[in-house]
Amino acid sequence: MEKPITGTMKAFMTGNEIVAWAALAAQADIMFGYPITPQNEIMHYWTRLAPKYKREFLQTEDEISAGFTVCGAVQAGRKAFTATAGPGNVLMQEPFGMAEAMRLPIVAVIQQRGGPSSGTVVYSQQEVTLTTYGGNGEGHRIVYSTSTHQEIFDYVIKAFNTAWKYRFPTFVMGDGYQAKMREPLEIYDPEERGLAIEPARPLVGLPGSIGVDREPAHLCNIYSLEEELYEVVLELDRAYQEIAPQVVEYEEKMCDDAEIIVLSHGVVSRAADDAVKTLREKGINAGYFRHITLRPFPAQQLRDAIKKSGARKILVAESSYGQLMRLVRQEIYGETVEICGLLKPGVGIVDHDIFDKVKELL
Amino acid sequence: MKRIVEAYIGEYASGKSENAINRALELKQAGFEVTLVDLDTVEPFYTLRPLKAWLEDRGITVVGWGPKDSFGLGEAGGLVKPAARWVLRREGAVILDIGYGVYGAKTLNLLEGADRDPDLQVLAVINTARPMTATKEDIVEYVSNLGRVDGLVSNSHLGSETTVDFIVEGHRVIMEAAAELGIPVVCVAVEDSLRDEALQADFSGVSVRFINRYMPGAMW
Repeated sequence: MEKPITGTMKAFMTGNEIVAWAALAAQADIMFGYPITPQNEIMHYWTRLAPKYKREFLQTEDEISAGFTVCGAVQAGRKAFTATAGPGNVLMQEPFGMAEAMRLPIVAVIQQRGGPSSGTVVYSQQEVTLTTYGGNGEGHRIVYSTSTHQEIFDYVIKAFNTAWKYRFPTFVMGDGYQAKMREPLEIYDPEERGLAIEPARPLVGLPGSIGVDREPAHLCNIYSLEEELYEVVLELDRAYQEIAPQVVEYEEKMCDDAEIIVLSHGVVSRAADDAVKTLREKGINAGYFRHITLRPFPAQQLRDAIKKSGARKILVAESSYGQLMRLVRQEIYGETVEICGLLKPGVGIVDHDIFDKVKELL
Repeated sequence: MKRIVEAYIGEYASGKSENAINRALELKQAGFEVTLVDLDTVEPFYTLRPLKAWLEDRGITVVGWGPKDSFGLGEAGGLVKPAARWVLRREGAVILDIGYGVYGAKTLNLLEGADRDPDLQVLAVINTARPMTATKEDIVEYVSNLGRVDGLVSNSHLGSETTVDFIVEGHRVIMEAAAELGIPVVCVAVEDSLRDEALQADFSGVSVRFINRYMPGAMW
């Protein structure tokens, strides 16, 4: 198969376009999708690129179907993905729940948009709750939140590897700004960089006789006995907790002596990073902590940062009305640090917003 | 004064809006009455809208919705401002920023007289840092699918990481593609901060248009 990228190439692209190139580089076989802003160009570019590199695409009749076709394709051993946003993410929660139940290695890119609504297309970070804990399950999913175009490329590749290595549904979460912004990055062939690509493999129709050569591939999504469901969910959680330490990712800067730690994820982390640097220049001991994985949540790492710094306050900066803050509260329950918010649903956050808020809090 | 009518088309992030804005400002300085038309029909939120008032302060007539003039239609796209339909009847220079790369010049069908305007130049903006237009073959294939194209704007760049060497190499590839397509390269765009170094560079006789980047000021 012709490689879409050879060597390393400097490129200037929108975030959506990068997703399509990264999926090619990760050796994705097929995308199933249904149009929704602001992820449309992921589909547009995938459909332009796919025929050239012998990959496939199917536009389904709606998002529910797009999610389920991804569930079907991965069982057949095809590296499949979808991309959606907002109400599309709501509709896909049913297939995402199936993927949780059956531990299907699906990959979904979520370009968050504003809510509540079915039609609001603008930037927001209001799909944190939905992407981490949406659906009628316990949130046994892996959710990455990117903050730069380079990370979109790196983490979309990583998401396919994570999904197929650990067999949990895996999400890469961007937003309307990251989808549409353009900036330079390096695109590359991962294998040439020594990054192994986790192969896809069929999950059903395996060789050998059941009971003789192997156990049955029992991928079940329907439980009629309460006790059975109880055992299944506890086993899912055990497996999830086991892999969590290998999957969890975070970024921490200048927390050793921080009086206040600024928490953020995604594109807002760019502003947080700049703000913390400026605060330090002005002699204010601020620290920076960013969640790269929102599920699993880097809870112990955050507790450690609070402990070693002796920080009195945490400022959660996010373009939502407390979705990250709720996660933080539940994950560090028992810590006595005061948790404050700079909560701006639908509105972008720039460095001086955070700078001013920190000054106000100290 | 000679009438100037230019339509800028190209891929997402190729530099259509940036080149259109810079050209409008340049012609204004040269004494033209300038009309700048925002013709993004698909996602009107992510265009030069936030810069409308700033451009109007500089004497440019902007035909396009301002942030508070229109309401979003969500997935249904956007309404084209009715005045845009008649812009080719205006005096002076008319610069058209045509959004949504895949449709190419087709969007011009919305304008009265676009098929017979004697002065209209449809210019495809090409950046070789975009993987879909990185090689001569890619550019030829891409431009061939755009419909009418009268010339290319050589606009290779990497945002804030652009070097003159990168522009020169991109320009070489674009010149080869233009030769194969049988259309001219009308100018090479270079960010003004690279002016001194660019004046020493060889762009095969193509004129250099020094530009400033205004779009990063558009926080949607």
